[in-house]
Amino acid sequence: MNQLWVTLRPHLPFMLDGFLLTVFACTLAIIGAVLIGALMASLRTSGNRIVRGVAFAYSDVFRNTPFIVQLFFFFYGLPEIGIYIGAFETGVIALSIIGGAFVSDVIRSGILAVDQGVIEAAKVSGLSRWTIFTKIVLPIALRTSVRPMGSVLINMVLTSSILSTITINELTGTAKIVASTTFKPFEVYLVLLVLYASLTYALSLLINTVHRRLNRAMDTGGAA
Amino acid sequence: MIVIENVEKRFGETTVLKRINLTIEPGEVVTILGSSGSGKSTLIRCINGLEALSGGRITVDGNDVSTKAGLATARRRSATVFQLFNLYPHMTALENITLAPINVLKKPRAEAEARARELLKLVGLADLATAYPQRLSGGQRQRVGICRALAMDPRYLLLDEVTSALDPEMTGEVLDILAELARGGTTMLFVTHEVEFARRISSRIVFLEQGELIVDMPTERFFAEDGGFAVPRIRQFLTKMKKD
Amino acid sequence: MRYADFTPYDLVLLAQGLGVTVGLFTLTTLVGLLIAALFTLVDYYRVPVLRQVIVTVSEALKNSPVLVQLFLVFFGLPAFFHINMTPFVAASLTISLNTAAFAFVIFRSGIDAVEAEQVAAAKVYGHSRWQILRFVLLPQAAAFSIGPLVGLLVNQLQVTSLISVIGVFDLTKIGNILNLRTLEPFIVWTVVGLLYYALAKLLASVGARIEKRLRRSVVWEGI
Ligand SMILES: Nc1ncnc2c1ncn2[C@@H]1O[C@H](COP(=O)(O)OP(=O)(O)OP(=O)(O)O)[C@@H](O)[C@H]1O
Ligand SMILES: [Mg+2]
Repeated sequence: MNQLWVTLRPHLPFMLDGFLLTVFACTLAIIGAVLIGALMASLRTSGNRIVRGVAFAYSDVFRNTPFIVQLFFFFYGLPEIGIYIGAFETGVIALSIIGGAFVSDVIRSGILAVDQGVIEAAKVSGLSRWTIFTKIVLPIALRTSVRPMGSVLINMVLTSSILSTITINELTGTAKIVASTTFKPFEVYLVLLVLYASLTYALSLLINTVHRRLNRAMDTGGAA
Repeated sequence: MIVIENVEKRFGETTVLKRINLTIEPGEVVTILGSSGSGKSTLIRCINGLEALSGGRITVDGNDVSTKAGLATARRRSATVFQLFNLYPHMTALENITLAPINVLKKPRAEAEARARELLKLVGLADLATAYPQRLSGGQRQRVGICRALAMDPRYLLLDEVTSALDPEMTGEVLDILAELARGGTTMLFVTHEVEFARRISSRIVFLEQGELIVDMPTERFFAEDGGFAVPRIRQFLTKMKKD
Repeated sequence: MRYADFTPYDLVLLAQGLGVTVGLFTLTTLVGLLIAALFTLVDYYRVPVLRQVIVTVSEALKNSPVLVQLFLVFFGLPAFFHINMTPFVAASLTISLNTAAFAFVIFRSGIDAVEAEQVAAAKVYGHSRWQILRFVLLPQAAAFSIGPLVGLLVNQLQVTSLISVIGVFDLTKIGNILNLRTLEPFIVWTVVGLLYYALAKLLASVGARIEKRLRRSVVWEGI
């Protein structure tokens, strides 16, 4: 055990960098995913069939193909059409896009689950469609969606490890380097696994807290 | 004045409302009676625009609810109280009540809140302004529902079985408030199964039977032996109600 | 003229990759579900120690990236235990266990979803714990589980793409090869993506059909 510590210690600052890059990439991607997801979810309620169809296809396609294929599509494809952005930017964009597909589904089911009676009450009081959406439907949907949204975000964190395949030295990328320089792949990857598990565990604690906070006062189960 | 002319409502093949004609003058309290499935709720939902008409016309102070502008005005003149309260679960009682006055009537927040507190006091809930619906009993929720409707200063109050989800004690709380409003001259269109209460507060009673409005009488006539009681279907209905 | 154009032989390559992906997916699904069933039995009979180990392992597998699990098995195990490990074995082992971890949770909640009264009733009639599992819990749990299970497998199908990273010649790896040779990333990855998409849809529709049949035999639909 002590031997392991001695071997690994010099590499910890490097891995900490990787960890921070993971956190940074995930933070950006989560923001992107929520924005894209919210947009796509609202497009799916559009009156226009084509707009609805496109929004549905977006979530269907990105949910039913592997992330690594999507990532390579962007990583190798974008330069072909003259878009030269770094690997990190590409990775964050790809992660936002797949996250957006899942977030859009979560928001959509949250919206569909809002009690129709509550919406009717808002309608007959003369509130505009926009006000009903922003002040009633969305806030209620957000509260009921905390948990499913949480699993999407946790999945995004786990998925972010795949960014290491396009030369991004996030947590998994740095671990790969440390594993090969120390010749201790078993120990390094085991530690890495535990690190990810702790990270997602911490996230799930946070999600539970948010869920409780937001829903403390509210019964989203129904009218009575 | 709410004018309902030759209103028809169909859901697919089934006709739920058949050529309904009814006029509600300011100051009147009109009760709609009828057995389950006779179309009472549907009629209310046609007036506040939650259902589109299949035929005929409804106007609220001359505003046709089938037109966009007409419906918008009609919805400002009327307010609805629901059977299952339909309070906004993520807002406090006060927020429930002030949402529409602030956003629709464009009242300043302070003014809307002052009025909301006044109303809450009126229904005996002054202490619960910051409580969320989940914390309230059914009767308290419905009283908030009534405040939410009254905060719009409506000329017409539409009430659909507002006590049928409540136990007898809570029903009493709510009915007392409605009786008070009726005495104060609020115009109401009232769907209920509380026949005795309807008799006490309404000026007129209409009876719906399988989508048709078969009787429209002043309350006294309705309950008279040679009036409503003379109609076999109504006699049957009233006798059954008494037994329950 | 590009670096190297597509050739008809590329179709053969793609077909091979598809075969490896489907084969490995089928294998790991069968093994994974079997392991999950064993896990569920251990949990059901409340086997001491083993039960805690299983729960811990499955939590770790569910809450860490599959890529890291693959690295641990493919690079870590041989180095630490001085054993041989081919990419295919490492991939099969990892994906099987990963599928097992998720399926275990689905099975367990399927069993939990059967009302306690039914179990109590069965106990009153003197049925053994095994009989209760076999005749009361399993048929219903299967019906409850099949929907989530199909969702899981559609997801696991996509997870198999990660085995390309440790050198298994699956569909994604073939995509990599073609991509590097032809320098036509849009065409290559669109074709590869579409193949995965078609597989996922096929899987989902077969799953939906099975679910329908299972539910019909369990849920009493009235006369
Ligand atoms: N959205 C709908 N689609 C199809 N049928 C409907 C719909 N809404 C109501 N109906 C039918 O219309 C008829 C009248 O319903 P309504 O709710 O107006 O009755 P009601 O008089 O309010 O009954 P209750 O006393 O039970 O509340 C019923 O037969 C009902 O099944
Ligand atoms: Mg009704």
